[in-house]
Amino acid sequence: MPAIIEPPPEPGARLAPLWKRLAWFVGIAVASTTVVAIVAYAMRAVLPSY
Amino acid sequence: MDVDALLLSRLQFAFTIAFHIIFPSFTIGLASYLAVLEGMWLVTRNEVFKTLYLFWLKIFAISFGMGVVTGVVLSYELGANWSVFSAVAAPVIGPLFAFEVLTAFFLEASFLGIMLFGWKKVGPGLHFTATVLVAIGTLISAFWIISANSWMQHPTGFATLPNGDLIAVDWFKVVFSPSFSARFAHMTLAAYLTTALVIGAASAWRLLKDADESESRMSLRMAIGMFAIVAPLQLLVGDISGKSVERLQPAKLAAIEAFWDTRTEQPFHIAAWPDRAIAGNRWEISIPKLGSLLTGGSTQAEITGLKAFEPQDRPPVAVVFWAFRLMVGLGLAMIGLGAWGAWLCWRSAPERSRLFLMAAVAMGPAGFVAVIAGWMVAEVGRQPWVIYGVLRTADAASPLLAGQVSLSLLGFLIVYAIIFSVGVLYILRLIAEGPVAGSHEPVDDDRAPGSALAAMPEDPG
Repeated sequence: MPAIIEPPPEPGARLAPLWKRLAWFVGIAVASTTVVAIVAYAMRAVLPSY
Repeated sequence: MDVDALLLSRLQFAFTIAFHIIFPSFTIGLASYLAVLEGMWLVTRNEVFKTLYLFWLKIFAISFGMGVVTGVVLSYELGANWSVFSAVAAPVIGPLFAFEVLTAFFLEASFLGIMLFGWKKVGPGLHFTATVLVAIGTLISAFWIISANSWMQHPTGFATLPNGDLIAVDWFKVVFSPSFSARFAHMTLAAYLTTALVIGAASAWRLLKDADESESRMSLRMAIGMFAIVAPLQLLVGDISGKSVERLQPAKLAAIEAFWDTRTEQPFHIAAWPDRAIAGNRWEISIPKLGSLLTGGSTQAEITGLKAFEPQDRPPVAVVFWAFRLMVGLGLAMIGLGAWGAWLCWRSAPERSRLFLMAAVAMGPAGFVAVIAGWMVAEVGRQPWVIYGVLRTADAASPLLAGQVSLSLLGFLIVYAIIFSVGVLYILRLIAEGPVAGSHEPVDDDRAPGSALAAMPEDPG
Protein backbone atom coordinates (compact mmCIF):
# COMPACT_ATOMS: atom_id res chain seq x y z
CA MET A 1 0.00 0.00 0.00
CA PRO A 2 1.48 3.40 -0.93
CA ALA A 3 2.45 5.79 1.87
CA ILE A 4 -0.16 8.44 2.76
CA ILE A 5 2.50 10.79 4.12
CA GLU A 6 5.04 10.58 1.35
CA PRO A 7 8.65 10.10 2.48
CA PRO A 8 11.55 11.77 0.59
CA PRO A 9 13.04 10.14 -2.51
CA GLU A 10 15.54 7.36 -1.84
CA PRO A 11 19.20 8.45 -1.83
CA GLY A 12 20.54 8.39 -5.38
CA ALA A 13 17.06 8.13 -6.93
CA ARG A 14 16.65 10.11 -10.17
CA LEU A 15 14.36 13.11 -9.76
CA ALA A 16 11.69 13.90 -12.34
CA PRO A 17 12.40 16.84 -14.67
CA LEU A 18 12.02 20.27 -13.11
CA TRP A 19 8.92 21.14 -15.18
CA LYS A 20 7.20 18.01 -13.90
CA ARG A 21 8.11 18.72 -10.28
CA LEU A 22 6.94 22.33 -10.62
CA ALA A 23 3.70 21.10 -12.18
CA TRP A 24 3.10 18.81 -9.18
CA PHE A 25 3.97 21.69 -6.82
CA VAL A 26 1.45 24.03 -8.41
CA GLY A 27 -1.10 21.25 -8.94
CA ILE A 28 -1.15 20.06 -5.31
CA ALA A 29 -1.24 23.66 -4.03
CA VAL A 30 -4.17 24.59 -6.30
CA ALA A 31 -6.02 21.35 -5.46
CA SER A 32 -5.56 22.00 -1.73
CA THR A 33 -6.78 25.59 -2.10
CA THR A 34 -9.77 24.39 -4.09
CA VAL A 35 -10.73 21.92 -1.36
CA VAL A 36 -10.53 24.72 1.25
CA ALA A 37 -12.67 26.97 -0.96
CA ILE A 38 -15.30 24.25 -1.48
CA VAL A 39 -15.54 23.60 2.26
CA ALA A 40 -15.73 27.37 2.95
CA TYR A 41 -18.55 27.90 0.45
CA ALA A 42 -20.38 24.82 1.76
CA MET A 43 -20.24 26.26 5.28
CA ARG A 44 -21.38 29.64 3.99
CA ALA A 45 -24.34 27.98 2.32
CA VAL A 46 -25.70 26.75 5.65
CA LEU A 47 -25.78 30.29 7.06
CA PRO A 48 -29.23 31.88 6.90
CA SER A 49 -29.45 34.94 4.66
CA TYR A 50 -31.23 38.08 5.90
CA MET B 1 -29.86 40.73 27.18
CA ASP B 2 -30.26 39.43 30.72
CA VAL B 3 -27.29 39.13 33.04
CA ASP B 4 -27.34 35.33 33.10
CA ALA B 5 -27.28 35.08 29.30
CA LEU B 6 -24.38 37.54 29.20
CA LEU B 7 -22.41 35.52 31.73
CA LEU B 8 -23.15 32.27 29.89
CA SER B 9 -22.08 33.80 26.56
CA ARG B 10 -18.83 34.95 28.13
CA LEU B 11 -18.30 31.48 29.63
CA GLN B 12 -19.00 29.85 26.28
CA PHE B 13 -16.54 32.06 24.41
CA ALA B 14 -13.91 31.61 27.13
CA PHE B 15 -14.38 27.83 27.03
CA THR B 16 -14.20 27.53 23.23
CA ILE B 17 -11.27 29.93 22.79
CA ALA B 18 -9.32 28.23 25.58
CA PHE B 19 -9.66 24.94 23.67
CA HIS B 20 -8.80 26.59 20.37
CA ILE B 21 -5.69 28.44 21.52
CA ILE B 22 -4.06 25.17 22.55
CA PHE B 23 -3.68 24.11 18.93
CA PRO B 24 -2.31 27.23 17.20
CA SER B 25 0.06 27.86 20.08
CA PHE B 26 1.45 24.38 19.37
CA THR B 27 1.36 24.38 15.55
CA ILE B 28 3.01 27.82 15.16
CA GLY B 29 6.13 26.49 16.85
CA LEU B 30 5.85 23.01 15.34
CA ALA B 31 5.72 24.36 11.77
CA SER B 32 8.96 26.27 12.33
CA TYR B 33 10.49 23.20 14.01
CA LEU B 34 9.59 21.09 10.95
CA ALA B 35 11.23 23.67 8.67
CA VAL B 36 14.40 23.54 10.80
CA LEU B 37 14.40 19.71 10.79
CA GLU B 38 13.99 19.50 7.03
CA GLY B 39 16.61 22.19 6.46
CA MET B 40 19.05 20.32 8.72
CA TRP B 41 18.32 17.09 6.84
CA LEU B 42 18.94 18.79 3.48
CA VAL B 43 22.27 20.19 4.69
CA THR B 44 23.60 17.21 6.68
CA ARG B 45 21.65 14.25 5.19
CA ASN B 46 21.54 12.91 8.74
CA GLU B 47 18.68 10.36 8.81
CA VAL B 48 17.80 11.36 12.38
CA PHE B 49 16.42 14.68 11.12
CA LYS B 50 14.33 12.94 8.45
CA THR B 51 12.87 10.47 10.96
CA LEU B 52 12.04 13.30 13.37
CA TYR B 53 10.46 15.33 10.55
CA LEU B 54 8.20 12.49 9.43
CA PHE B 55 7.21 11.73 13.03
CA TRP B 56 6.28 15.31 13.99
CA LEU B 57 4.61 15.94 10.60
CA LYS B 58 1.86 13.45 11.51
CA ILE B 59 1.25 15.22 14.81
CA PHE B 60 1.32 18.61 13.07
CA ALA B 61 -1.32 17.49 10.56
CA ILE B 62 -3.68 16.27 13.32
CA SER B 63 -3.12 19.38 15.47
CA PHE B 64 -3.59 21.68 12.47
CA GLY B 65 -6.91 19.99 11.69
CA MET B 66 -8.13 20.30 15.28
CA GLY B 67 -7.03 23.94 15.32
CA VAL B 68 -9.09 24.68 12.22
CA VAL B 69 -12.20 22.93 13.55
CA THR B 70 -12.08 24.66 16.94
CA GLY B 71 -11.32 28.02 15.28
CA VAL B 72 -14.29 27.95 12.91
CA VAL B 73 -16.60 27.72 15.93
CA LEU B 74 -15.33 31.08 17.21
CA SER B 75 -16.28 32.96 14.05
CA TYR B 76 -19.80 31.54 14.27
CA GLU B 77 -19.99 32.58 17.93
CA LEU B 78 -19.07 36.16 17.03
CA GLY B 79 -22.26 36.30 15.00
CA ALA B 80 -24.47 34.19 17.25
CA ASN B 81 -23.52 35.42 20.74
CA TRP B 82 -21.83 38.77 20.05
CA SER B 83 -23.91 40.18 17.20
CA VAL B 84 -23.82 43.77 18.50
CA PHE B 85 -20.02 43.65 18.62
CA SER B 86 -19.98 42.20 15.10
CA ALA B 87 -22.37 44.82 13.75
CA VAL B 88 -20.59 47.76 15.38
CA ALA B 89 -16.97 46.72 14.83
CA ALA B 90 -17.13 44.60 11.65
CA PRO B 91 -16.01 47.42 9.29
CA VAL B 92 -12.79 47.68 11.29
CA ILE B 93 -12.11 44.21 12.63
CA GLY B 94 -13.76 42.12 9.90
CA PRO B 95 -11.07 42.85 7.27
CA LEU B 96 -8.34 41.78 9.73
CA PHE B 97 -9.98 38.36 10.06
CA ALA B 98 -10.49 38.21 6.29
CA PHE B 99 -6.80 39.00 5.69
CA GLU B 100 -5.94 36.19 8.12
CA VAL B 101 -7.92 33.70 6.04
CA LEU B 102 -6.71 34.98 2.66
CA THR B 103 -3.02 35.46 3.43
CA ALA B 104 -2.34 32.90 6.14
CA PHE B 105 -4.88 30.10 6.23
CA PHE B 106 -4.90 29.59 2.46
CA LEU B 107 -1.07 29.59 2.44
CA GLU B 108 -0.97 26.97 5.20
CA ALA B 109 -3.75 24.81 3.76
CA SER B 110 -2.33 24.93 0.20
CA PHE B 111 1.22 23.94 1.03
CA LEU B 112 0.34 21.47 3.78
CA GLY B 113 -0.86 19.27 0.92
CA ILE B 114 2.64 19.27 -0.57
CA MET B 115 4.20 18.61 2.84
CA LEU B 116 2.01 15.55 3.31
CA PHE B 117 1.61 14.12 -0.16
CA GLY B 118 4.32 15.51 -2.42
CA TRP B 119 7.89 14.84 -1.25
CA LYS B 120 8.76 12.39 -4.03
CA LYS B 121 6.64 14.24 -6.57
CA VAL B 122 8.16 17.71 -6.14
CA GLY B 123 11.64 16.74 -4.92
CA PRO B 124 13.54 17.87 -1.81
CA GLY B 125 14.04 21.55 -2.71
CA LEU B 126 10.42 22.35 -3.54
CA HIS B 127 9.20 20.27 -0.60
CA PHE B 128 11.38 22.32 1.74
CA THR B 129 9.92 25.47 0.13
CA ALA B 130 6.42 24.19 0.99
CA THR B 131 7.43 23.49 4.60
CA VAL B 132 8.90 26.99 4.97
CA LEU B 133 5.75 28.54 3.43
CA VAL B 134 3.53 26.69 5.92
CA ALA B 135 5.74 27.91 8.79
CA ILE B 136 5.51 31.48 7.46
CA GLY B 137 1.74 31.03 7.09
CA THR B 138 1.35 30.15 10.78
CA LEU B 139 3.27 33.32 11.71
CA ILE B 140 1.15 35.47 9.37
CA SER B 141 -1.94 33.95 10.99
CA ALA B 142 -0.67 34.97 14.43
CA PHE B 143 0.11 38.43 13.03
CA TRP B 144 -3.50 39.14 12.01
CA ILE B 145 -5.14 37.62 15.09
CA ILE B 146 -2.86 39.53 17.46
CA SER B 147 -3.41 42.65 15.36
CA ALA B 148 -7.20 42.32 15.78
CA ASN B 149 -6.89 41.61 19.49
CA SER B 150 -4.40 44.45 20.06
CA TRP B 151 -6.84 46.82 18.38
CA MET B 152 -9.52 45.66 20.85
CA GLN B 153 -7.07 46.31 23.70
CA HIS B 154 -6.23 49.84 22.52
CA PRO B 155 -8.29 50.93 19.49
CA THR B 156 -6.72 53.50 17.17
CA GLY B 157 -7.25 54.67 13.57
CA PHE B 158 -11.07 54.59 13.64
CA ALA B 159 -14.03 56.97 13.77
CA THR B 160 -17.53 56.54 15.20
CA LEU B 161 -20.49 57.14 12.87
CA PRO B 162 -23.66 58.89 14.16
CA ASN B 163 -25.43 55.52 14.47
CA GLY B 164 -22.63 54.18 16.69
CA ASP B 165 -20.92 51.98 14.08
CA LEU B 166 -17.15 52.17 13.77
CA ILE B 167 -15.22 52.77 10.55
CA ALA B 168 -11.48 52.67 9.88
CA VAL B 169 -9.93 56.00 8.93
CA ASP B 170 -6.27 54.92 9.10
CA TRP B 171 -5.61 51.24 8.37
CA PHE B 172 -1.96 51.48 9.39
CA LYS B 173 -3.03 52.58 12.88
CA VAL B 174 -5.70 49.87 13.01
CA VAL B 175 -3.27 47.08 12.09
CA PHE B 176 -0.33 48.40 14.10
CA SER B 177 -2.02 49.64 17.26
CA PRO B 178 0.45 50.72 19.99
CA SER B 179 0.63 47.43 21.90
CA PHE B 180 0.77 45.23 18.78
CA SER B 181 4.51 44.71 18.27
CA ALA B 182 5.25 43.68 21.88
CA ARG B 183 2.16 41.44 22.05
CA PHE B 184 2.97 39.75 18.70
CA ALA B 185 6.53 39.02 19.84
CA HIS B 186 5.24 37.77 23.21
CA MET B 187 2.70 35.40 21.60
CA THR B 188 5.15 34.07 19.00
CA LEU B 189 7.78 33.31 21.62
CA ALA B 190 5.09 31.71 23.79
CA ALA B 191 4.16 29.44 20.88
CA TYR B 192 7.80 28.47 20.31
CA LEU B 193 8.22 27.71 24.02
CA THR B 194 5.00 25.68 24.12
CA THR B 195 6.18 23.53 21.22
CA ALA B 196 9.67 23.12 22.68
CA LEU B 197 8.18 21.98 25.99
CA VAL B 198 6.03 19.34 24.26
CA ILE B 199 8.96 18.12 22.15
CA GLY B 200 11.19 18.12 25.23
CA ALA B 201 8.62 16.14 27.21
CA ALA B 202 8.06 13.63 24.39
CA SER B 203 11.81 13.14 23.97
CA ALA B 204 12.36 12.80 27.72
CA TRP B 205 9.54 10.26 27.95
CA ARG B 206 11.23 8.10 25.30
CA LEU B 207 14.67 8.53 26.86
CA LEU B 208 13.40 7.38 30.25
CA LYS B 209 12.74 4.05 28.52
CA ASP B 210 15.82 4.00 26.28
CA ALA B 211 18.55 6.55 26.96
CA ASP B 212 20.36 5.66 23.70
CA GLU B 213 17.56 6.46 21.23
CA SER B 214 19.37 8.80 18.83
CA GLU B 215 16.25 10.65 17.55
CA SER B 216 15.03 11.53 21.05
CA ARG B 217 18.54 12.54 22.16
CA MET B 218 18.74 14.96 19.25
CA SER B 219 15.24 16.40 19.77
CA LEU B 220 15.83 16.78 23.53
CA ARG B 221 18.97 18.83 22.86
CA MET B 222 17.12 20.99 20.32
CA ALA B 223 14.34 21.57 22.88
CA ILE B 224 16.86 22.47 25.60
CA GLY B 225 18.41 25.00 23.21
CA MET B 226 14.99 26.63 22.80
CA PHE B 227 14.31 26.73 26.57
CA ALA B 228 17.74 28.16 27.28
CA ILE B 229 17.52 30.97 24.70
CA VAL B 230 13.80 31.73 24.29
CA ALA B 231 12.61 31.51 27.91
CA PRO B 232 14.89 34.35 29.19
CA LEU B 233 14.10 36.33 26.02
CA GLN B 234 10.40 35.87 26.74
CA LEU B 235 10.90 37.41 30.19
CA LEU B 236 12.35 40.55 28.58
CA VAL B 237 9.63 40.77 25.91
CA GLY B 238 6.96 40.17 28.57
CA ASP B 239 8.37 43.07 30.57
CA ILE B 240 8.17 45.35 27.50
CA SER B 241 4.58 44.19 26.93
CA GLY B 242 3.79 44.88 30.60
CA LYS B 243 5.22 48.39 30.29
CA SER B 244 2.84 49.07 27.38
CA VAL B 245 -0.08 47.86 29.54
CA GLU B 246 0.94 50.37 32.23
CA ARG B 247 0.84 53.15 29.62
CA LEU B 248 -2.23 52.09 27.61
CA GLN B 249 -4.45 50.15 30.05
CA PRO B 250 -3.67 51.36 33.58
CA ALA B 251 -6.76 49.62 35.06
CA LYS B 252 -5.51 46.27 33.75
CA LEU B 253 -2.04 46.90 35.16
CA ALA B 254 -3.55 47.81 38.54
CA ALA B 255 -5.54 44.53 38.50
CA ILE B 256 -2.44 42.51 37.51
CA GLU B 257 -0.56 43.91 40.52
CA ALA B 258 -3.58 44.36 42.86
CA PHE B 259 -2.80 48.05 43.30
CA TRP B 260 -5.79 49.87 44.80
CA ASP B 261 -4.35 53.28 45.71
CA THR B 262 -2.48 55.61 43.36
CA ARG B 263 0.90 56.24 44.92
CA THR B 264 4.67 56.10 44.62
CA GLU B 265 6.64 53.26 46.27
CA GLN B 266 4.02 50.67 45.36
CA PRO B 267 4.84 47.29 46.93
CA PHE B 268 5.12 44.14 44.83
CA HIS B 269 2.54 41.61 45.97
CA ILE B 270 3.98 38.11 45.74
CA ALA B 271 0.62 36.74 46.88
CA ALA B 272 -2.59 38.49 47.86
CA TRP B 273 -6.35 38.04 48.05
CA PRO B 274 -7.84 41.02 46.20
CA ASP B 275 -11.49 41.72 46.96
CA ARG B 276 -13.51 44.21 44.94
CA ALA B 277 -16.16 44.35 47.67
CA ILE B 278 -13.76 46.06 50.08
CA ALA B 279 -11.70 47.74 47.31
CA GLY B 280 -8.53 46.28 48.78
CA ASN B 281 -6.59 43.12 49.51
CA ARG B 282 -7.86 40.92 52.35
CA TRP B 283 -4.28 39.77 52.93
CA GLU B 284 -1.01 40.18 51.09
CA ILE B 285 2.63 39.10 51.14
CA SER B 286 4.60 41.99 49.66
CA ILE B 287 8.05 43.41 49.01
CA PRO B 288 8.02 47.18 49.71
CA LYS B 289 8.66 49.60 46.80
CA LEU B 290 9.40 46.81 44.29
CA GLY B 291 6.05 47.24 42.51
CA SER B 292 6.85 50.81 41.43
CA LEU B 293 10.35 49.75 40.41
CA LEU B 294 9.16 46.83 38.25
CA THR B 295 6.23 48.60 36.60
CA GLY B 296 7.43 52.21 36.49
CA GLY B 297 11.20 51.79 36.40
CA SER B 298 11.77 53.65 39.70
CA THR B 299 10.65 53.27 43.31
CA GLN B 300 9.41 56.89 43.08
CA ALA B 301 7.26 56.18 39.99
CA GLU B 302 3.58 56.92 40.69
CA ILE B 303 1.46 53.95 39.62
CA THR B 304 -2.28 54.32 39.21
CA GLY B 305 -4.44 52.18 41.49
CA LEU B 306 -7.88 50.71 40.88
CA LYS B 307 -9.62 53.32 43.05
CA ALA B 308 -8.82 55.88 40.35
CA PHE B 309 -11.51 54.18 38.25
CA GLU B 310 -15.23 54.04 38.93
CA PRO B 311 -16.25 50.65 40.41
CA GLN B 312 -18.16 49.79 37.24
CA ASP B 313 -14.98 50.38 35.16
CA ARG B 314 -12.73 48.06 37.17
CA PRO B 315 -11.83 44.58 35.82
CA PRO B 316 -12.16 41.44 37.97
CA VAL B 317 -9.00 41.61 40.06
CA ALA B 318 -8.38 38.21 41.67
CA VAL B 319 -8.57 36.26 38.37
CA VAL B 320 -6.20 38.65 36.60
CA PHE B 321 -3.81 38.82 39.57
CA TRP B 322 -3.49 35.05 39.95
CA ALA B 323 -3.47 34.23 36.22
CA PHE B 324 -0.55 36.63 35.80
CA ARG B 325 1.36 34.98 38.65
CA LEU B 326 0.68 31.53 37.23
CA MET B 327 2.03 32.63 33.82
CA VAL B 328 5.14 34.28 35.28
CA GLY B 329 5.76 31.39 37.68
CA LEU B 330 5.68 28.89 34.83
CA GLY B 331 7.93 31.19 32.77
CA LEU B 332 10.50 31.21 35.56
CA ALA B 333 10.27 27.40 35.78
CA MET B 334 10.97 27.26 32.00
CA ILE B 335 14.05 29.46 32.47
CA GLY B 336 15.19 27.11 35.25
CA LEU B 337 14.63 24.05 33.07
CA GLY B 338 16.61 25.65 30.24
CA ALA B 339 19.53 26.58 32.51
CA TRP B 340 19.53 23.08 34.05
CA GLY B 341 19.44 21.41 30.64
CA ALA B 342 22.18 23.64 29.24
CA TRP B 343 24.36 22.87 32.26
CA LEU B 344 23.77 19.12 31.78
CA CYS B 345 24.63 19.39 28.06
CA TRP B 346 27.85 21.18 28.95
CA ARG B 347 28.84 18.84 31.79
CA SER B 348 27.73 15.46 30.47
CA ALA B 349 24.53 14.33 28.77
CA PRO B 350 20.98 15.37 29.75
CA GLU B 351 19.58 11.92 28.85
CA ARG B 352 21.65 10.42 31.71
CA SER B 353 19.85 12.50 34.36
CA ARG B 354 16.57 10.76 35.16
CA LEU B 355 15.61 13.65 37.43
CA PHE B 356 15.97 16.12 34.57
CA LEU B 357 14.05 13.84 32.19
CA MET B 358 11.20 13.53 34.70
CA ALA B 359 11.17 17.31 35.16
CA ALA B 360 11.05 17.77 31.37
CA VAL B 361 8.07 15.37 31.15
CA ALA B 362 6.28 17.19 33.98
CA MET B 363 6.82 20.54 32.22
CA GLY B 364 5.28 19.26 28.95
CA PRO B 365 1.86 20.95 29.46
CA ALA B 366 3.34 24.08 31.09
CA GLY B 367 3.36 26.07 27.83
CA PHE B 368 -0.35 25.50 27.24
CA VAL B 369 -1.21 26.48 30.81
CA ALA B 370 0.95 29.61 30.57
CA VAL B 371 -0.63 30.62 27.22
CA ILE B 372 -4.17 30.22 28.59
CA ALA B 373 -3.22 32.11 31.78
CA GLY B 374 -1.72 34.89 29.63
CA TRP B 375 -4.89 35.15 27.55
CA MET B 376 -6.94 35.37 30.77
CA VAL B 377 -4.77 38.30 31.88
CA ALA B 378 -5.24 40.00 28.49
CA GLU B 379 -8.98 39.38 28.12
CA VAL B 380 -10.31 39.50 31.69
CA GLY B 381 -8.02 42.45 32.38
CA ARG B 382 -9.70 44.38 29.53
CA GLN B 383 -13.14 44.04 31.16
CA PRO B 384 -15.68 45.55 31.41
CA TRP B 385 -14.83 46.52 27.84
CA VAL B 386 -14.82 44.33 24.75
CA ILE B 387 -13.28 47.24 22.77
CA TYR B 388 -11.35 49.17 25.39
CA GLY B 389 -13.02 52.49 26.17
CA VAL B 390 -15.42 52.16 23.22
CA LEU B 391 -17.86 49.26 23.66
CA ARG B 392 -18.76 47.50 26.90
CA THR B 393 -19.00 43.71 26.92
CA ALA B 394 -22.52 43.96 28.35
CA ASP B 395 -23.56 46.09 25.34
CA ALA B 396 -21.89 43.82 22.78
CA ALA B 397 -23.90 40.64 23.32
CA SER B 398 -26.76 39.29 21.23
CA PRO B 399 -30.33 39.57 22.56
CA LEU B 400 -30.49 35.93 23.63
CA LEU B 401 -32.18 34.22 26.54
CA ALA B 402 -30.24 32.36 29.21
CA GLY B 403 -31.93 29.10 28.19
CA GLN B 404 -30.76 29.45 24.59
CA VAL B 405 -27.15 30.07 25.58
CA SER B 406 -27.28 27.28 28.18
CA LEU B 407 -28.29 24.84 25.46
CA SER B 408 -25.44 25.81 23.11
CA LEU B 409 -22.94 25.85 25.99
CA LEU B 410 -24.04 22.37 27.04
CA GLY B 411 -23.67 21.20 23.44
CA PHE B 412 -20.15 22.60 23.23
CA LEU B 413 -19.19 20.99 26.55
CA ILE B 414 -20.33 17.56 25.35
CA VAL B 415 -18.94 17.75 21.80
CA TYR B 416 -15.61 19.26 22.86
CA ALA B 417 -15.20 16.72 25.66
CA ILE B 418 -15.53 13.90 23.11
CA ILE B 419 -13.52 15.39 20.22
CA PHE B 420 -10.82 16.90 22.39
CA SER B 421 -10.37 13.77 24.49
CA VAL B 422 -10.14 11.51 21.45
CA GLY B 423 -7.82 13.88 19.57
CA VAL B 424 -5.46 14.52 22.45
CA LEU B 425 -5.34 10.88 23.53
CA TYR B 426 -4.53 9.92 19.96
CA ILE B 427 -1.72 12.51 19.76
CA LEU B 428 -0.38 11.33 23.12
CA ARG B 429 -0.34 7.72 21.91
CA LEU B 430 1.55 8.74 18.78
CA ILE B 431 4.04 10.65 20.92
CA ALA B 432 4.43 7.67 23.25
CA GLU B 433 5.27 5.45 20.25
CA GLY B 434 8.05 7.88 19.37
CA PRO B 435 10.01 8.47 16.17
CA VAL B 436 11.09 5.18 14.60
CA ALA B 437 13.60 5.09 11.76
CA GLY B 438 12.16 3.41 8.66
CA SER B 439 8.57 3.62 9.88
CA HIS B 440 7.60 4.97 6.45
CA GLU B 441 8.65 1.87 4.60
CA PRO B 442 5.79 -0.32 3.28
CA VAL B 443 4.17 -2.54 5.91
CA ASP B 444 2.70 -5.96 5.28
CA ASP B 445 -0.85 -5.34 6.45
CA ASP B 446 -3.63 -3.03 5.30
CA ARG B 447 -2.50 0.02 7.28
CA ALA B 448 -1.03 2.68 5.01
CA PRO B 449 2.67 3.32 5.72
CA GLY B 450 3.39 6.89 6.72
CA SER B 451 -0.13 7.36 7.99
CA ALA B 452 -0.99 8.09 11.57
CA LEU B 453 -2.51 4.60 11.86
CA ALA B 454 0.70 2.93 10.77
CA ALA B 455 2.48 4.46 13.75
CA MET B 456 0.19 2.57 16.10
CA PRO B 457 1.04 -0.86 17.43
CA GLU B 458 -0.59 -3.64 15.40
CA ASP B 459 -2.59 -4.74 18.43
CA PRO B 460 -3.28 -1.59 20.45
CA GLY B 461 -5.26 -3.56 22.99
